[in-house]
Amino acid sequence: MSRTKRVAVTSPQTRLARSRRQSRGRWRMPRLRASEAERAAALYRIQRRRGIPALVAMFVLVLGLPVVFTLAPALDALRVCGIPLSWLMIVLLPYPVMAGLAWWQLRRAEKAEDD
Amino acid sequence: MDIALAVTPVVLITLLIGLRGVAAMRTTSDFLVASRRISPFVNSAAVSGEYLSAASFLGVAGLMVKDGAGALWYPVGFTAGYIAMLVLVAAPMRRSGALTVPDFAEARLASPALRRLAAVVVLVIGTIYVVPQFRTAGLVLTAVGGTPYWVGVVIAGTAVSVTLALGGMRAATYVQAFQFFLKLVLFLVPALWLVLHVGAADRDASLKPVEFTHFSRETPVEFRHEVTLTLNEPTTVLEDGTSRTLPPGQLPVHEGDRLVFAPGAQVPAVSGETPLGGPSWQRPLLQVHEGHPLLGTWAVLIATVLGTMGLPHVLMRFHTSPDGRAARRTAAITVALLGVFYLFPGIYGVLGRVLVPELYLSGETDTVVVALPLQIDRGWAGQLVTALLTAGAFAAFLATSLGLLLVMSGALAYDLMPGGLRRLRVTVVFAAAAMVVLALPSARLDAGILVTWGFTVAASTFCPLLVLGIWWPRLTAAGAIGGVLTGLVASSGSILFALAGPPLHGWVAILVSQPAPWSVPLAFGVMAAVSLRGRPPSWAAAAMLRLHLDERGPGPEPPHSSAPASRSSTVRRVARRLNR
Repeated sequence: MSRTKRVAVTSPQTRLARSRRQSRGRWRMPRLRASEAERAAALYRIQRRRGIPALVAMFVLVLGLPVVFTLAPALDALRVCGIPLSWLMIVLLPYPVMAGLAWWQLRRAEKAEDD
Repeated sequence: MDIALAVTPVVLITLLIGLRGVAAMRTTSDFLVASRRISPFVNSAAVSGEYLSAASFLGVAGLMVKDGAGALWYPVGFTAGYIAMLVLVAAPMRRSGALTVPDFAEARLASPALRRLAAVVVLVIGTIYVVPQFRTAGLVLTAVGGTPYWVGVVIAGTAVSVTLALGGMRAATYVQAFQFFLKLVLFLVPALWLVLHVGAADRDASLKPVEFTHFSRETPVEFRHEVTLTLNEPTTVLEDGTSRTLPPGQLPVHEGDRLVFAPGAQVPAVSGETPLGGPSWQRPLLQVHEGHPLLGTWAVLIATVLGTMGLPHVLMRFHTSPDGRAARRTAAITVALLGVFYLFPGIYGVLGRVLVPELYLSGETDTVVVALPLQIDRGWAGQLVTALLTAGAFAAFLATSLGLLLVMSGALAYDLMPGGLRRLRVTVVFAAAAMVVLALPSARLDAGILVTWGFTVAASTFCPLLVLGIWWPRLTAAGAIGGVLTGLVASSGSILFALAGPPLHGWVAILVSQPAPWSVPLAFGVMAAVSLRGRPPSWAAAAMLRLHLDERGPGPEPPHSSAPASRSSTVRRVARRLNR
């Protein structure tokens, strides 16, 4: 079976227009209709308001746990099933909490768009 | 040949799917837009697959052997970054229609200069991120198959560039998604196998670390760079079959030296490093031996959390979601998927300290993961598990390097020197070759710095640009340029100084080698200050609000259109351009 060569079929004008374009395409000024702008502004404010607690919670968890370890070195000596409690905390605590936090924030952010 | 067995299937599958990608690709808009229908779950697996690099697969366990239990903070930061991404970046970035950060910069601030600067930053981050991947590939193949370091690096570079050149520029979402589950299985199964098969004594020893363990068997150590060992008791080494006892004290070791420790000899300390298994090793904080554990840990966490938001190859993945809402879901699911994977590096770390202390001496801790199975079982089972882990490591660096080289080639051939598809392809090969050349002399660089370097630069440049660009209407192009430049120079300059400059101590050393705690606020500050001195253009507020408008907003446009005509669609522009 012989393969036929595929050729691009374009109007000469299109080809001319394409060969002429050297730059990446013009930048267009972003425009929003009045109704869109209103909705976008409302969403911007509500998402900002709802995002901050989630961010704060994440930073408190991630930056706070090292503080706990610094202030309570006794956690290294406590053992659960033979494993130092601080090692268990660093592995088993942050990931489920962060997954829950992500889920909570996702729900809130989507609700804001549904209303 | 173990390596061939392990690595060939991974490379072959990647090549096959790459070829399949070419066959399935009819038009360039297929190439860029068809994947916009990826569901959040598949896409988050792809994000995780691309994100789990050699640093995650091998690096965390290696850093744990080297620096102690505090290394477990790295993956916490890697994961927490996706919460920041979810809150701040995911949906607006997708809604901007911008594929990459340079695109975003132009769409939001209309500044070609900023676009070029962002492209340069992409190249810098990509280089810093790819070089450790190639380096690890070299180290792993050396450890598993005994090949010279450069062989692994060259194989890595060739595999990546051939895959990209044959498979085209397509971000093969399903490959990445498949690779996430492949990596998860190849990491999880060996971890469980190790835990089940390790002897009771070793298991006990791994959970109750003591400073200065003893070699359990005759252990040869090859030193690839100069270190000073500290012997705390008379130590027996074997030379040509005869044993010789070294007196306690400092023992300088030169590059290329080989020492064979007798069974029962004490593992010496390496000066300047965290003493293996000592009290500071056991503390779940970083930089304990420098005396500032909280600062050291926070520095790494700030870099990894904020840096994740600015990694160009990850940002690009979010674009394959159908809309901003799906992009946000992708980020949320990614947090959960990464959380599953990161439960396991610690197992390799604690076992590695007990079973392969020689890697701590030679400084090649990155190979801990693949060196472990043979210490437990020298038979076929150990060989098989080693092969599985090598395959997983190869998949890890392949997925990450593919994504990064793609972004870098895009920055070169699309943002800096615009050209067609062919130039993009050629660029890939040249970029990969350049990365190989850079990776060859970097075998001895500090793994901890390499892992966070890319994150630190991303956190000091793109993180402020994206966060302020999305959430602050007053940002101006001049401010953005000033902030990005400041962050780039401050973070990279500081780390280069740490690598090449005189040795420092105490908190200064931490802030120089991990500059994120000051370079990120500095970049934010410069960006805000310069912006406040200027005036944003009249359309700035609209440009920002546009990013927050959900796709299902009111208006006459059909609900399914993901790119209404009034929005700038970079995808359409790229498609048009490549179609020529």
